[in-house]
This record gives sequence, structure tokens and C-alpha cells, in this order.
Amino acid sequence: MKKVLALGLIITLALTVLLSGCQTQTDTSTQTQEGGGNSGGRTKLAMWFWGCSDAYQKALNENLAGRYNAMQDQYELVIEYRETVDNDISVAIAANSGPDVVYGSGPAWVANYAKSGKLESLAPYVEEYGWRDKLMSPLYEACTVDGELYSIPISLNTVGLYYSKSVLEENDWAVPTTIDELYTVMDEAQAKGMYAALAGNKGWRANNEVYTTLFLNHFAGPEVVYRCLTGEQKWNTPDVQNAVRTSADWYKKGYLGGNDYTNISAGEAMALLASGKSPFVISSSQFFQFANEYFNDEAGNTDDLGFAPFPGTDKAQYPTFSIGTVATFSVNASTSHKDEAAKILNIMISKDFMTDMTIAWPGYWGVPLREMNIDMSRMSGLSLAYSELLTTMNKTVNAGNFAYFVQTFFPSATYEHTNDIDTVWEGVASPEEFLSDMDIKFQKDLDANLVPPIPKVK
Amino acid sequence: MKNRKIWFALPALIISVSVVLIPAIMTIVTSFTDFNGLDLNLYFIGLQNFREIFTDKVFIKALGNNIRWSIIYMSVPVSISLLVAYLLCKLERGRNVFQVIFLIPYVLAAVTNAIIWMNAIYSPVSGLLSVFRSAGVNIPSPLSSVSGALYGVAIVDIWHYWGFLMVVFLAAFRQTPYDQVEAALVEGCGGVSLFRYVYFPNILPTFKLMFAMVAIFSFQSFDYIKLMTDGGPARATEMLSTYSYRFAFNMFQFGKAASVAMVMCLFGLFASVIYVSMSSSEEYT
Repeated sequence: MKKVLALGLIITLALTVLLSGCQTQTDTSTQTQEGGGNSGGRTKLAMWFWGCSDAYQKALNENLAGRYNAMQDQYELVIEYRETVDNDISVAIAANSGPDVVYGSGPAWVANYAKSGKLESLAPYVEEYGWRDKLMSPLYEACTVDGELYSIPISLNTVGLYYSKSVLEENDWAVPTTIDELYTVMDEAQAKGMYAALAGNKGWRANNEVYTTLFLNHFAGPEVVYRCLTGEQKWNTPDVQNAVRTSADWYKKGYLGGNDYTNISAGEAMALLASGKSPFVISSSQFFQFANEYFNDEAGNTDDLGFAPFPGTDKAQYPTFSIGTVATFSVNASTSHKDEAAKILNIMISKDFMTDMTIAWPGYWGVPLREMNIDMSRMSGLSLAYSELLTTMNKTVNAGNFAYFVQTFFPSATYEHTNDIDTVWEGVASPEEFLSDMDIKFQKDLDANLVPPIPKVK
Repeated sequence: MKNRKIWFALPALIISVSVVLIPAIMTIVTSFTDFNGLDLNLYFIGLQNFREIFTDKVFIKALGNNIRWSIIYMSVPVSISLLVAYLLCKLERGRNVFQVIFLIPYVLAAVTNAIIWMNAIYSPVSGLLSVFRSAGVNIPSPLSSVSGALYGVAIVDIWHYWGFLMVVFLAAFRQTPYDQVEAALVEGCGGVSLFRYVYFPNILPTFKLMFAMVAIFSFQSFDYIKLMTDGGPARATEMLSTYSYRFAFNMFQFGKAASVAMVMCLFGLFASVIYVSMSSSEEYT
């Protein structure tokens, strides 16, 4: 009898452990495990986001969840901050589960999910809310799949030069507007024992995308990149080979973080800039969000940081902004609250949201609105510098002058390959080998119809 | 009686089948398809994934890195832990304190260890490296060098793991019958001879087990590579695990990811077979 009882207990425990891992997921917004469920009479809607700082979380909670929750009394948006959000979302929505509002790493990422039916087409909401007229055309088009919008771009991003005003002033250097002026300043900085310019990918190898973007667009030219992205020209051609070769020359000369490229993170680059170790950081505009730890009122250097477009070359006039979006948001095809999720997206595509988020969190929430008209009187410090950049970019892009950020306009497998540009820098591969492999991967992406729509530069 | 013993193994068997065997079978099947991980619109493509990875330079590089990593892992932490365990075994006072200190890196999360090394040691801004550079000693960053990055990460993983090995070996050393030790000492055995002829033979079963586990685990290394270099610089630290991950989650090529995982499994299986055959050839007294 005792043996039977013991055996029964063991089997019960084993089954309990096994079955506790099994769930039936049909409605994403009512699963507390996914952040949904009912709370105080309101149905919870879930949005997952990356694990940003407490201050940034507070800003997003107030300006997005707070706004949405205050405008109605049936639903409550709950934002979960996860360090492994990319993986979590990938796994969840592949299983027809996950949050109602889906954060994504850009249009290339979105295309894979859209084609598999995991994301809801936003076409009805485009008409309802007028998103086509509200958003900058190049980025709107990039977020479409087979002609329909599947995600909204929420963070205008570009590559340029952060500079320390005090370091430039002390050394009698001007903000360079041509590539020769940039070389002069960088060489002189190196001669004085400084980093020529700071750059790095520590903690985020994918930051190589910034430098691939920079060299392809500014040293091969936006028109060449356009022809390659539309399949009219191969990547492994002299224009592009020269651009990649130039990037390797820069790396060897120490123009990209000296010998510490893989040992400098975004925050460390800003720290070194703030301490006068270099005149420049070459990086994407989203780095503004890491700058306030080192450029702030407490340190007395809030106004010391500037941002300038990358200097003009013979392939790209000044200023040319390689545009992209750091992140996108979509509606989960599995949610039963699509209209509400779309309302949340609509809150993001507004000047009020962009303004309030830029004040609290400069660098990330530059929503690419067609008409910016930012109230500069509300901005100060880094928010002011970032807003000025957005305004300049807005005018330039609306006039049809822009270039192509790799993370936004390249399909996923090709984009992944561009992160291997450091194989050329380290002499592991030649530019020709690197680009030949890129042609193979791009052709596969092209054949699978995974290349986003590529807007043409005027 | 024999039938009743099987019942006690049943819970573990159910868990092994559902959590290990079924996913393993799915991985094997997936490796012969073009599965994108998102929908079931997949096709059987035979050995295409395997043909492509074996002609892929990055895969060959990753395989080479895995072999180098295994050699490092099977030599350095094993040697250090054996030596330290032996020394601690002979230590009469303070042994427990040393055990705790040496085990601390093992109980910390991989993220914590990686952050400590990347920011407090290797960082040119806040780390020990910056202190040396400020003093005029220009030490290059291990993680920045194609030839040194793998070893730079290996140092951190070894630092994390060797304490655990040491504790296991120490426990095994302490099981050595003291009359054997006494007899050897009376015969004039010194430190090295004592270790070689008395202690080591006694811990041989434990040593074989841990050696096999180290070999298997070394082929699954992922976290420190992912956290510290993500396969860079220039794929110098790419491992089969990180490469498989990249195929699956960055490129939506789950079929190819599964084929890389299959190669990893083969090496683990090889180490397991060696261990089982070594164990089964032992005589039990």
C-alpha cells in the first residue's frame, strides 16, 4: 500500500511539472503571463520593450501608456521592459502569442513576420488616421510589405559626427564640412595623442551597421546604393569595393576608435568625448540617449555636445543624411484588440508624443513626421541639440536628399552580412570577397521578395 | 522486482522524452528543411543545409574555434583545478574559506561576470587596462585583437568555471583512504609522487566524468562569447553555438541553424561515447 502511494505521488509530481509548462494561447490580451488579463475592470493590452533605464521607462509609461489609459476606460496598456525582448518577441509571435503591440528592430525584421502572417496589415488604419500623409515618405514606404503598411517607424536615425565644442575650441578646429577638413582634424588629434575619432561596437556588434552605412553611402554614393538595393547593380563593383577599402583604411589608421574599436561601447565613447580624449564620436544619432550620463548640468557641460552631418565627399554632397528608423511598432495578428493596438500606434505618430519623449529621452523618439515644427522653446541641452538635428533632417529628406541606413533598407540576411565588414578591416577577407558573398546573400533575399521598397533619391 | 525499479525511473524518462528527445527529433528533421521558424510552409531540401554550411568559411572558422576552445578548456581549468584541489587537500586550516572564494565566480551569473571583466578589467575607460595605460604601459585590449580575442573570452570563462571543478576534485581527493597516503609517506613519497601514485588513481572515476563533462560543455559554449564579443572581431570568436543562433534569430533560417546544431551534437555525442566506453572498461571491486 505504501509503495502504491509513493508511486502515485511520484507520478503526480512528474505530471504536474510537465503540464505546468503547457498552455493554450488563443487570446494574447487576456493572458497574464504575456502581460494581458483583466485588472480592475479594464482589459490589459501588452507591449514589450527593451530594458531601458528607470528614467526612460518612466517617460514611456507616462507619455504612452498614461496617454492611452487616460483617453478611455475599457483597456489598460501595460509596457513590460525585457532585456531579451528581441528573442522573446520572436519566439512568442512565432507561436501566435506575444504582446498586442509588437516592437521590432526595423522594416527588414518586420518583413519576415508580415509574410508569415504574424503581423496585422495596417492598411485600414492608414486610411482612418492618415498615416501616409503624417510620416516621411521614404520611411513610410520602407515599412510597407507588398504595398501595405505593416509597421510604423518611430525613431528617425542617421549617422554623423558628435563633437566636443570645448575640444574643438581649445585646438582651434572648426566643425568639418568636407572630408578633407575631417582628415585634417583627425590627423592633428592623433598627433596630440587623442583618439582621431571615437567609434566602437562593444556590447552590440551590430553597431558595425553604422559604419557600413557610412562608408557605402558617403564613399560609394546614395545613387550606387540605390542601384544595388534594387538589383540594377551588383555590390561587388569598383564603386562599392573602393568604399569598403576606404573603411579598412580608416580602421587601420585608427580613425575608428584607435585600437579599441571592439572595446568601446556607446556609453564609453560619450565618456571619452566628455573627458576630452577625442574631438569626435562617429556614430548614429540614437547615441544621444547615452550622452546625458556624461553631458549634463551636474557636470556643467550640457551645451558642450554638438552633432553635425557627416562631411561632404565627392560621392555625397553636404549634408546627406543616411536615414533609418531604430525601431518599429506593429500590431500582432493574434490579438483580438487590433483597433486598440492601432490607437496606441496612432498616439506615437504625433507631434505631442514626439516632443514630450524627446524632452525626457533625447535620441530615440524622433518620430519621422512629415511636418516637424518642434517647439524649440520647450527644449534645452541635449533635447535642443537633438531637435535641431531632427528639424534639419526633416527639411533635407523632404527635399528628396537622403541615403540608406543599412538596418532599415537592407533585407535581414544581407544586413547580417554587412556586420562582417570588420573581416575586411582585420584583413581576414578582401573587399572583393566580402562583397561577392554579399551579392550571393542579397540575391537570395531578392528572390524571396524580402527587400523593402527602396525610395529613390531625387 | 526488476519491473518495479523501472517505475521509479518513469518520471525522469517522461521528462527526458518530452523535453529532450522530442525537441531533438524535431531538430534533426528541421535540419533537412528550409524552415524559417515562423510558419509551417516548409519544404524538405535534403542535405542542402549541410552542403552549404560545410562550404561556408564562417562555419569552418567556428568549428576551428570550437576545437581550440575545447582544447583550452580540457587543459587549463582542469590543470589549475587539480593543482589547487591537491594543495587545498593538504591544507589543514582555512580550506573552507578558499573554497568559498574560488567558487564565487561560478555562482555569479554569466552576465555579471562578463560585465565585471568588460568594465572593470578590459575597459579602456574604467578598467584595469585604463590604469596601466595612464601609467604609460600601453597594453592592447585582448578583445580587440583577432588573434587574442578568443583567449580574452576564454580567460573569463575559465575564471568562472575552474572553481566548480576544483570543489569536485577536492571532494574526491578527500575520499582517498588515508592509510594509503600514510603508507606512501612512510615509503618516502613526495608531493608529485603522492599525487601520481596515490591520490590521482583514487579520483580517476571522478576525473573521467568531469573531463567528459568539460569536453561536452566546451562544445556548447555560448554565453560568454555572446555577451563579450558576439563572435567578433571579424568572426574571430564565432562558435558553432553563436553561429546557429545567428541563423535562427537574425536570418530566420532555422533549417540551417538546426544543421549547425547537429554538428555540435555529434561532438558532444563523441565525447559521451568515449566516456561511457572508458567507464564500462573499469573494474569494480
